[in-house]
Amino acid sequence: MSEFRILEIKQSVFADNDKQAEELRKELKKEKTFLLNLMSSPGSGKTTTLTKTIAALKDEMKIGVMEADIDSDVDAHTISETGAKVIQLHTGGMCHLDADMTKQGILGLGTEEIDLAILENVGNLVCPAEFDTGSSKNAMILSVPEGDDKPLKYPLMFTICDVLLVNKIDVMEYFDFDLKACEERAKKLNPNIKVIPISAKTGEGIEEWAQWLREQVKKWKEA
Amino acid sequence: MHELGVVIEVVNVVEKFARENEVEEIDTVVLQIGELSSMIPKYIREVYPAAVDGTLLEGSKLEIEILTANGRCQACGTVFPLVKNEGVCPTCGSSDCEMLCGREFYIKEIRCF
Ligand SMILES: Nc1nc2c(ncn2[C@@H]2O[C@H](COP(=O)(O)OP(=O)(O)O)[C@@H](O)[C@H]2O)c(=O)[nH]1
Ligand SMILES: [Mg+2]
Ligand SMILES: [Zn+2]
Repeated sequence: MSEFRILEIKQSVFADNDKQAEELRKELKKEKTFLLNLMSSPGSGKTTTLTKTIAALKDEMKIGVMEADIDSDVDAHTISETGAKVIQLHTGGMCHLDADMTKQGILGLGTEEIDLAILENVGNLVCPAEFDTGSSKNAMILSVPEGDDKPLKYPLMFTICDVLLVNKIDVMEYFDFDLKACEERAKKLNPNIKVIPISAKTGEGIEEWAQWLREQVKKWKEA
Repeated sequence: MHELGVVIEVVNVVEKFARENEVEEIDTVVLQIGELSSMIPKYIREVYPAAVDGTLLEGSKLEIEILTANGRCQACGTVFPLVKNEGVCPTCGSSDCEMLCGREFYIKEIRCF
């Protein structure tokens, strides 16, 4: 047996993934495919919001969806009824998607066909925040019943997101939810975050959200 | 339990590193975790045996070093440990601070034969 040694590694656990994510982002840029990474707790309304989003945008651009959330056989079916191309990603019980799995998904969708690819990430606010998927932009959904203090509990998620959708505002009056306080907490963590209140049920706010996406997709294709 | 996925990533990185450096047996893996990282040391220790099962790391010990989270006060510039001071600047009392470090999750080193 050889002698005892100490080998220094000094590597961030996320370094490999960060590198792959950067490569994927470059490829997507070249292919002019915009990738949105959509995250939330389970049940916040990712699938419902997606169906409304697809309905608003499908006549202007080609949309593809990657379903990774648990329970998502149902979700994939729901999305396929909108007419968008959808594929199911198998995460093998993982709590997040990494750049490599996302890349497999993108290959499955085929970029030449897609202007806007949307990833419905695994429903949790912790791990997906740590793993860059290679997305062009990150969005998260916080629904009213979850409470306006979520930014305090999951600071990293709010730091990495470009947009915060506050969903289920149709039930606002039944919950003690302070929209202004929520927005202030989110902005304190991330001054650049855009906050859009929506109801995926009634459709309120969906147009503002769709408009934001429209602009982002356009910018991504230009530069 | 989100730690498992991340610990599996640790195992991948260490295995790759060990192979490249012709390591045959790993005695200890040393991680460095920021105080404000979302990874909880207790849970990492709990999932470690399952994550290393059947890998080159099987049977190895795990050591975790905690790195202090420091922030800089935006009002007066003082650099101070965030957790101990609960995010409030000990010099001027402002709670407007910028986090300098504390979210790290590093594989520091391996001790091996
Ligand atoms: N009241 C109300 N319910 C909603 C809204 N959006 C989604 N839901 C409901 O919340 C539940 C979870 O929604 P889903 O889209 O499956 O969440 P996901 O797990 O994040 O994909 C479903 O019962 C939806 O009907 C909304 O804006 N208002
Ligand atoms: Mg869903
Ligand atoms: Zn100060």
